[in-house]
Amino acid sequence: SERYLALCPTTISSSDSAVDSATFVEEQKARTVLRERYIRSLLAMVKKDVHFTMYERVKVNAVFGASDIDILNFQVSDLQTPLGVQKEALIRCPDIISYSFSIDAGLKD
Amino acid sequence: MNEWCKKTPLEWQALLHKELKVCAHEKQQHQGWLFTVDPVSANIVLVSFEPDGKASIVTVMGHAVETVEVLNEGSDAISNRLVSLFMPVAPQKHSK
Amino acid sequence: ISGRSAKPPLEKPGERRVAEMKKLYGEDAAKIQGMETAMQLTFDRNCDKKQPKYWPVIPLKL
Repeated sequence: SERYLALCPTTISSSDSAVDSATFVEEQKARTVLRERYIRSLLAMVKKDVHFTMYERVKVNAVFGASDIDILNFQVSDLQTPLGVQKEALIRCPDIISYSFSIDAGLKD
Repeated sequence: MNEWCKKTPLEWQALLHKELKVCAHEKQQHQGWLFTVDPVSANIVLVSFEPDGKASIVTVMGHAVETVEVLNEGSDAISNRLVSLFMPVAPQKHSK
Repeated sequence: ISGRSAKPPLEKPGERRVAEMKKLYGEDAAKIQGMETAMQLTFDRNCDKKQPKYWPVIPLKL
């Protein structure tokens, strides 16, 4: 159906779906692993001080709160802007080039 | 949409646990072990293990990615360290 | 087919999302959807409580 094609643009699109069904399941599994890991990386960032490098060479630090599921907005606190601290803020993800934080790696074997 | 964002989840998965060099907009360069690529945003999560026992995590936004280069194929030891960094319990699926 | 105008969906939004998640994530869709829902709830709750304003006010990248 049209809707099915709209939802699954990558592997299936132009080919015969019966032939590619095994690949399709593999792709679902890969997407699950990748997405779960990404959400865990966001959870690891909660309450951490995060450094954001944004466009136009803007660099700011803030304490990460949460993200929306589409990864379009980050909710942060204590944002240190060049003009002072903004207690509560939303950062637009399209404004960001990269963000970084650090955690204890632990030393378990 | 750039080339990186158009890749399939299988192509991203094939890079897991490898050491990558990522070049991004405004001449940014980042290097680290690949923990994941978000299939929604194509954001790249790279980990570096610091000598002081900390891990530094850099995420490069998918929309800002220009090139991705594999520097090192990685190892079981690296993938175990990456997984134990973020996962509450080690997953049974990939053990041996 | 392409010439016809789009029909309104017959199913409810919640069902549509479940179906979409199933297509994208297969047998583990419920797990991912649970994690996403928890994350979105935290986001919504924090925004309600803290009323954050966009920074910068004007987007850097359009």
